[in-house]
Amino acid sequence: MTRNRKMPLLALIAGASLCAAPSLFAAERPSSPVAAYTAMSPEELADYLIFEMEGFDLDAPTQEGGTARDRLEQDRTQKVCSAIARSGAALDRPTAAKISALAEESIQLPEGGIALGDWKKGEQIARSGYGYRMGHRMDDHSGEPPGGNCYACHQLDPNETAHGTVGPSLAGYGRLRGTSDAMLKHTYQIIYNAHLFFPCTTMPRFGHNGTLTQEQIRDVMAYLLDPESPVNQETEQTAQAD
Amino acid sequence: MRIKNAARAAGIAAFLSMASHAAQVQPPEDVLGELIERNSSDYLTQSEQNIMMMPDNPALWTADEGKDLFYEERGPNNKSLETCDLGKGPGVVEGVYVELPRYFEDTGRVMDLESRLVYCMTSIQGFSPEDPEVKTRHGSSSDMMKLQTFIASRSSGLPWNPPMDHPLEKAMRDAGEVMFYRRAGTSDFSCATCHTNTSKRIRASVLPNINEPHEWTKAISWPAFRVGQQNVRSSTHRIRGCYWQMRQPQIIPGSDAAIALMSYWTDAARGQPAILPDKKR
Repeated sequence: MTRNRKMPLLALIAGASLCAAPSLFAAERPSSPVAAYTAMSPEELADYLIFEMEGFDLDAPTQEGGTARDRLEQDRTQKVCSAIARSGAALDRPTAAKISALAEESIQLPEGGIALGDWKKGEQIARSGYGYRMGHRMDDHSGEPPGGNCYACHQLDPNETAHGTVGPSLAGYGRLRGTSDAMLKHTYQIIYNAHLFFPCTTMPRFGHNGTLTQEQIRDVMAYLLDPESPVNQETEQTAQAD
Repeated sequence: MRIKNAARAAGIAAFLSMASHAAQVQPPEDVLGELIERNSSDYLTQSEQNIMMMPDNPALWTADEGKDLFYEERGPNNKSLETCDLGKGPGVVEGVYVELPRYFEDTGRVMDLESRLVYCMTSIQGFSPEDPEVKTRHGSSSDMMKLQTFIASRSSGLPWNPPMDHPLEKAMRDAGEVMFYRRAGTSDFSCATCHTNTSKRIRASVLPNINEPHEWTKAISWPAFRVGQQNVRSSTHRIRGCYWQMRQPQIIPGSDAAIALMSYWTDAARGQPAILPDKKR
């Protein structure tokens, strides 16, 4: 009875919303199909709400040339690592090996070997959080190149105090590790796809996802490894310390 | 300034007299103070200045303006919102916010505060969804933020307690949990990337951990005045900002996806007192 009574109102509102798609207003939406929702697993329902119930502005263009829908689709690594994080369980060995193998397959080493780029450019990339943001304020890559946003999570230059701590400190990275070919390759692989060594790490796959170019990766590597880089200088003494 | 303070003193007196009826409603600065006394948390204590300025939170004015709007006869139907059922019966505002999102029989949906207000403003007051009263969702001067801040402030100090009696409420919360952990996009981020660590920083900001309810209650205590933006902001605004920073597409306000996420995040703070309105960096 209750349901029938409100039908005309809902029908009216639903009709009105046809003029202004996509609908942004809750009151215009039809009621949730209770039986359909509760019959689904949480994973199925989440995907249904995202892709079938207009949970996101799916047709919006992205900087990389696809649509929002593409950006929301998960690849194998994202899917597996999401489920493990949600379960709260430790990563089991076979899954870790599988994620690591996927990472290994994805990594393209530069032709002609790995060389360090320009640490000054690398510093700009490490500091910049610009790029790939979309929705109400879309980053325009033609105006400013995307950065790596390393400082969001890592300490690098020991004199920079506004650094994140979600990732390990990389202060003195090159000074502590040296610049052997093996270390250059290791560093390149971590930036390209860190899941190779740290399966289901929270670190973005900058090379695999194409958010940093090979040249940018070389510049960031110079910032980490070049003996001249601020990352590899000792902490400046403060007046109090003298 | 003097006049403002006098008006605020009157506001506080009204607030406290109301508090005496619903014994647990508390000024937000007291709720935060007690939380900090009981728990050691770098997140809760990261801005001494914001804590100090809580009694002078501009959001308290926004709440006062929202109270006037709530009882004013407005819209094409010239009705107040006193017949709006926010979950505890028509016109009841005390304690409703900490029990949202919830299932509403009349719409057959789980709804959050914002989508419920849209429903009441369109169905009771007769506003069109395109009217600025309904359509403008952000900024301290918007009707939506004023109304939300008023209604939410009447739950300050009460424990988060979203109902999980209806099967749809549970289904939405569980889907919201999947969304929270769902990594996607060009940076492989999910909400969990930043919000499952304790005392970790992104740049200079200490982030709240969803697994620490005493931190999470402050994290979800919206509306809050954001000092850096000089505006009162909503849960919807926070979620929009998070998806933007995660390099994921824009979530649609009032969609079941957005409400599912809010169902999960509110459930995660269950039992902890709400700080409303809050003040954030």
